[in-house]
Amino acid sequence: MITARAITRTFAGRGGMLQREPVRALRGVDFTIPDRGAVSFIGESGCGKTTLGRILCGFEEFDGGELHIDGQSMGELRPRDRAPYFRRIQMIHQDPYSALNPTRTIGQILADPLELRARQRDADAAWIRRRRAELLELVGLDPDYVLPRYPHMLSGGMRQRVVIARALTVDPEVLVADEAVSMIDVSLRLGILQLLRDLREEVGVSLLFITHDVATARYVGLGGELYVIYRGMVVERGGTDTVIQQPTHPYTQCLLSAIPVLRGIEEPGPERIIPTGPLDDRTEPPGCLFEPRCPFAAADCRATVPALGRLGDTEQEHACLHPARRSVVAVGLR
Amino acid sequence: MTWIARLSRPAGRTVPTAGPAADGPADPAASADPADGPGAAGPAAVRVRDLTVAFGTREGPLPAVSSVSLDLTRGQITGLVGESGSGKSTLALTLLNAVSDPGTVTAGSVWVDGVGNVLALHGGDLRRARGAQIGYVFQASQNSLNPLKPVGKQLLDLGRSHGERDGRALLRQARGLLDHMGLDAARVLSSYQHELSGGMRQRVGIVFALVLNAHVLILDEPTTALDMLSQASVLDIIRKVHAERHLTTLIISHDVGVIGDVADRMAVMYAGRIVEEGPTAAVLASPRHPYTRALVNAMPRIAGDITQARPLPGRPPDLASIPARGCVFRPRCPLAVESCGDAEPADTVAAGHRFACFVAAEEDA
Repeated sequence: MITARAITRTFAGRGGMLQREPVRALRGVDFTIPDRGAVSFIGESGCGKTTLGRILCGFEEFDGGELHIDGQSMGELRPRDRAPYFRRIQMIHQDPYSALNPTRTIGQILADPLELRARQRDADAAWIRRRRAELLELVGLDPDYVLPRYPHMLSGGMRQRVVIARALTVDPEVLVADEAVSMIDVSLRLGILQLLRDLREEVGVSLLFITHDVATARYVGLGGELYVIYRGMVVERGGTDTVIQQPTHPYTQCLLSAIPVLRGIEEPGPERIIPTGPLDDRTEPPGCLFEPRCPFAAADCRATVPALGRLGDTEQEHACLHPARRSVVAVGLR
Repeated sequence: MTWIARLSRPAGRTVPTAGPAADGPADPAASADPADGPGAAGPAAVRVRDLTVAFGTREGPLPAVSSVSLDLTRGQITGLVGESGSGKSTLALTLLNAVSDPGTVTAGSVWVDGVGNVLALHGGDLRRARGAQIGYVFQASQNSLNPLKPVGKQLLDLGRSHGERDGRALLRQARGLLDHMGLDAARVLSSYQHELSGGMRQRVGIVFALVLNAHVLILDEPTTALDMLSQASVLDIIRKVHAERHLTTLIISHDVGVIGDVADRMAVMYAGRIVEEGPTAAVLASPRHPYTRALVNAMPRIAGDITQARPLPGRPPDLASIPARGCVFRPRCPLAVESCGDAEPADTVAAGHRFACFVAAEEDA
């Protein structure tokens, strides 16, 4: 189990010497990834969702807050003592084409981390071979076909499956998938998503799914939790289908309104909410961060920073002073 | 508000019939106006007929596009959907006669309103047709701006290469388009590409394609690499300029969602063939070809029962693994029967909707 409390990350700003404004990528994010659970983060580019994934994998430092992995606080450990904890969290990258070493066969790529594993548990070479085949079968690949081949001989979908198999060699507890299917052919995407979803059952990993595509989050995160993140702050949180069907924060409503509606089999929801302007991350509004783009902004939104709070007695939380449920999601015609 | 008047006039459409079209009737197919194709709805501004594009490879010439016929109905948005390697970009490039080595058009014609057979044009005639008649927004065009020049300068370069003498009018036209897309025109024109976001660069690409008053607009993957909000606003802009300038638009995408949202008609491409084509609502509501059915079923959707989504079996073919005989979808097809291997299925047409499948055709009979 992973718990994050008030995680912050600020980057030194870009631009000239005089106008170097720091970029606040994360402004106090709380979340919990339960064992075998699924948590999805959605938001537009630049909202901090990738930084969050990198912090969780230990690729990136956080500068405030607390991160607990299996009860151990990462902030209390020296960096090199953190490594065994971060090894329990493995990243599935967006681009399977650059995630695999082109000069090594799939067999070699999988053998390296397994050798380390074999030393730890006094296993022999036969164990490595057996485990390698087992993992490939688990991700839906034929070991005899894949093992002797180089990455360039495989399709994007097969490569992404190899990346997932490699992540599983170290028996992780959490997989972090950051836009894991955006570079895969459409006909193969659902297969990868289904694999990620099934791995929760089959090997008991939990999943942190990061995407801007709400529909894929809905598929993978069924029964899990959905977090909507805007400029480094969680603005809405709740059960995946609850947030999608009954969004209360205007930003969530904008994201959901932007999903294409399929003619002939869907009709648009009764309301469509469009942000009043593009994202400007160079200015820091004094009140609500979304206020400059919010079509429902009122005078008090400019003065008060809304905190994440419950809506009635439900599990759903939102950070909006004037929350209202609006029906923005397309409705299926059959 | 004068620019609005100019924008809404279907500019450049009346003149060219006397221009490039008159120059190009060397090919008899160019001057003859071919009859409307199978299942066409209304007059077509672009007619692709029996087009085959082959790529020279070590295994000999392989067709990336094979005997494709497609009409772009005047004033409508046509969506072309297919996976990477299905030949959709190659098909679109033939509309500019821009297929490059090792690809060659080995058969067929591409007839464009006011131009004639584009495939018969070359040199100056071809250059005038590109830009002035046919606007093209290339794949990843958000990365295709010159990083060393501000956008406005590049726009003037474009005008100069097309013999446009009045640079000021061109800039005024571009400013009008940019304003219309909700951008600060003065800022965009003086910006370098790195100062613009992905969505803004995509809009600049559309301005470049339209600033010479093209009446056919082709967009290759216009929203790939954009997030949901930028995608929605780019699609809104495409809809808006399409309607206001009376364009004939072709949008290419691998994303059925994008096509399903924006296109009036859609064509589904697989292994260099158009396997199904018709009004978008009809194709999505009752897909006939098993590939289209599988594609629609494999989409994670926001509405309906998500547990019903099913992945497609098999993998997309590459040029070398396309079956030489019989139906090309056969290796992945759940409906395939033995006779599917004998010949390629011909189009079955019903109510403006065509598909190429033996088994689905029998369901009709």
